[in-house]
Amino acid sequence: MAERDLNDLLARSMRSRVNRRSFLAAAGLMGGSAALAACTGGGSETTAPTAGATAAPGATPAPATPEPAADIESELFIYNWSDYIAPENIEAFEAMHGLTITYDIFANNEELLAKLQGGASGYDIACPTAEFLPQMIEGGFIDKLDMSRIPNMSLMDPNLLSQDWDPNNEYHVPKDFGTTGILVRKKIVTEPLNSWQDFFDLATGKYSGRVVLVDSLGDVLVMPLKMLGYSLNETDPARLAEARDILLQLAPHVLALDSDTYQDKLATEEAVLCLGWTGPLLELREDEATADTEYVVPSEGTLFWLDVWVKLAGAPHPNASYEWLNWIHEPDVQKAETEYNGYATPNLEAAKIVDPELLADPAIFPPADVMENLEGADPAVTDDAGRIDLWAEFKSSIGR
Amino acid sequence: MSAPAIPAPTAAGHVGRPAARRGERIGGLIEGAFRAHAILVYAFLYLPIVVIIVFAFNGNRLATIWTEFSTEWFGVALDNRVVQRALQNSLIVAFFNAALATLFGTMAALALQRVGKRTRLLFDALTYISIIVPEIVIALATLVFFASAFDILNPILLDVQGGGAGAFTFGFGHATIIAAHILFNTSLVLLLVRARLSGMDRTMVEASYDLFATPWRTFRQITFPQLLPAIVAGFLLAFTFSFDDYVITSFVSGPGSSTLPLFVFGQVKRGVSPETNAVAAMIFGFTIAMLLVGQLALIWQARRRGARDSMAKLISEG
Amino acid sequence: MTATAATAATRRGERGWKSAFFTWVLLFPAALWYFLLLVAPLFIVVVFSFGEKARNGGYAPAFTFDNYGQVLERAEPFFASLRLASSGTLLTLLVALPLAYFLATRAGRHKGVLVLLLVVPFWTSFLIRAYSWLIILGPRGAAGVVGDAIGDPAFRILGTEVGVLVGMTYGYLPLMIFPLYVTLERMDRTLVEASKDLGAGRWATFRQITLPIILPGVITGSILVFIPMMGEYVIPAILGYGRTFLIGNALVLDFLEARHWPAGSAKAVGLIALMLVTITFYLWFLNRGRKVRDVSVL
Repeated sequence: MAERDLNDLLARSMRSRVNRRSFLAAAGLMGGSAALAACTGGGSETTAPTAGATAAPGATPAPATPEPAADIESELFIYNWSDYIAPENIEAFEAMHGLTITYDIFANNEELLAKLQGGASGYDIACPTAEFLPQMIEGGFIDKLDMSRIPNMSLMDPNLLSQDWDPNNEYHVPKDFGTTGILVRKKIVTEPLNSWQDFFDLATGKYSGRVVLVDSLGDVLVMPLKMLGYSLNETDPARLAEARDILLQLAPHVLALDSDTYQDKLATEEAVLCLGWTGPLLELREDEATADTEYVVPSEGTLFWLDVWVKLAGAPHPNASYEWLNWIHEPDVQKAETEYNGYATPNLEAAKIVDPELLADPAIFPPADVMENLEGADPAVTDDAGRIDLWAEFKSSIGR
Repeated sequence: MSAPAIPAPTAAGHVGRPAARRGERIGGLIEGAFRAHAILVYAFLYLPIVVIIVFAFNGNRLATIWTEFSTEWFGVALDNRVVQRALQNSLIVAFFNAALATLFGTMAALALQRVGKRTRLLFDALTYISIIVPEIVIALATLVFFASAFDILNPILLDVQGGGAGAFTFGFGHATIIAAHILFNTSLVLLLVRARLSGMDRTMVEASYDLFATPWRTFRQITFPQLLPAIVAGFLLAFTFSFDDYVITSFVSGPGSSTLPLFVFGQVKRGVSPETNAVAAMIFGFTIAMLLVGQLALIWQARRRGARDSMAKLISEG
Repeated sequence: MTATAATAATRRGERGWKSAFFTWVLLFPAALWYFLLLVAPLFIVVVFSFGEKARNGGYAPAFTFDNYGQVLERAEPFFASLRLASSGTLLTLLVALPLAYFLATRAGRHKGVLVLLLVVPFWTSFLIRAYSWLIILGPRGAAGVVGDAIGDPAFRILGTEVGVLVGMTYGYLPLMIFPLYVTLERMDRTLVEASKDLGAGRWATFRQITLPIILPGVITGSILVFIPMMGEYVIPAILGYGRTFLIGNALVLDFLEARHWPAGSAKAVGLIALMLVTITFYLWFLNRGRKVRDVSVL
């Protein structure tokens, strides 16, 4: 009986509308002045003095664990996205503890979850996207973390924590975050583009057939739902029907659904508008021929994503895992991560020492007013039948 | 068969000379067409390889837009531990499972010649089903099967071994991938060998038995040489399929057993970079080099023996 | 004559049970693998197909026919796959047959190397080669060239059925060539020559001598190509710009996004049953009147 109530509670809390205002308003300060970030980040935790002292470039910090480290095993198995940890950090960690890191790659969250649900095991640390946390917790695939062994958690921006996907911050350590938005070749698309509505008008109008969307349900549905002023986690059938109309109007004008090579299509100018992420942005900007590429966060609001570290149940190397989870957020380690990956760090101390050019880039570190409009994905709706059907219908209608 | 008929003389008194000449010309055209077609197909097969190699020297981070010539990506690829491990795993997995699958498939193909109709039907159905099942379905189901089996077997194993550190338990890794690949590959080899067996000249086999040769001798000297092309072809195909498989491998692999396709698929999510091209180019270069070395070695060896053998004999004998 | 024949027959009879044992030994490994890694997982799939989706996604024990009902409702991806697989198989056959014939009969000494050279490209990751096709057929490649020639700047090969077919043929060629090659290769050329000596025309020779011999190869090849093509979705996603929604896409959607394993399982079972029936008919049709029925199911 009690379990039933708890389940109901959990289910209801997951379905509640995810409110981002408070955290986002303050998180926006990260992109702003470092001084403000220092104030909110707090200098009261024990690691602060160490963090300041180790700002010297290239220095490997002494791990600031308050208690004596338990015996650290000789291996660590990490299951992560491709190329998502700065190589110098891997080497540093290995050298520090005399262990070997095995870095295995997965290609998407759904596959990771399916594998775990099917019974796969053997890894220590994984890096899913936050909205998959509840399923992983409920399935018993990840361990509750002993946060006393991860003192660097206190360096996290508190407004990123205590979200619906892990209300008591017991199961994860944030890694980095970003948004879904519009990439555009400004050289060709000279019209103003500030909103999803603009995107829709241009895509169905002048630039028909030169639009690419990422092949991702959760990201593409953001567009019509935000245009209509609804939550991007909408499951109400009537509202989904309205979104469906918009999507089906757009479908004939879409060139491709592509999550992997949309930057190439932008580069060859086969596509000039793209609903996508900031990943390729830096590379596109580096090359003269494509330096006109810009990233727009639409005014109606959009999705933000957060990648997190988790410790998998049955991890064969628990001590090494804890070491890693804490060490990765040593500020200069995190600084190296941010500069390698090009995504925003959730670590306030690290944000102070990140390359100022990155900090000033609104695509990577969105300003406060943009942050207010960001909404996170609700884990409970990722497999909603109505949304999935809509997506299947949209996919069948592309180009027709 | 009746004796060949001699064409009757035509009214002109010649034995169809113009027709023969025309026949020769058409024959020549057809020969030429076959050769041209073959060349085109090989060009078709190798065109992407050429592009891959060329773009491996692309200085740009974006793999598809050429900016400048550079060899940096080869350095990056060679340095990349993940790539090295992945390549190693791919080779191990592909070789072992192809070898086993070829063995199992050939044995089964031979056996199926001798069983009753119902057994053969059952086997046929299973063979086709193993190919029909969509990869993601068999991948997930195999994962569930393995996981369930491990859940049952591992506690027993631990008990038997007194469960200390270093005790052997079943886990996901090379063995599970090899086991999973063997399924599809066995069917592949089975079908190829049976296609070859069908219509094979049985009179020789029967004659051999009539002459009181043992079954083994018959097999070794008559059946096997005729089957060899299909067996080798089966091995090659099985190796190729395994080397390049993604879905099944990704589901049943474990820590440290990632193969090359897993690496590539994962890499692509972060944008196709020339590093991936460099890896592919190096694999290709290595394979061609091995082929060349193999051919040269055989020619050299043949010259020493005085015979005019070549690697072709291995495959073409029959 | 009769004495030796009789003795031979007796010897064959005597070898009876030993022979049977040997046969089962030969069959054992493949049978074991089929049982453990095909029958057992498929059993799991069938059990799943009658279940319900667990709240957390996956499978929850139940017994219902709902999933099968759904399968019949949404059949479009199936027909899309069918179209693609049929045209793809045909195209692959047309490309492979002349080449297999050439290799088997005309390549002489270089046969082995040429056959090996067929597979070498396939040891470079398939995905990377697919992306190369993006360059080759893209706006800066073939599409650009053709587009300029016909004066249509928006001309496209990628994102159309043509592009997808090119990619499919490319990806499945070895699976078609090898069966054709191994059957053609053992064809007794003297039969063909004898036929010509008898005054038969080229076409008649082909139809009556060559074709029946290579038929098993054609059957095996087309099955080996058609079936996987039905489940193919990666090539259409890349070279077709994701503009088609095929069975493969539907299954991925069920298993990975919707995490509705029972629904996906029911679709899979339906697909398997349908394909099995199709193949049975195909083989029966082609093997009619043939005395040797070894590649057949009936």
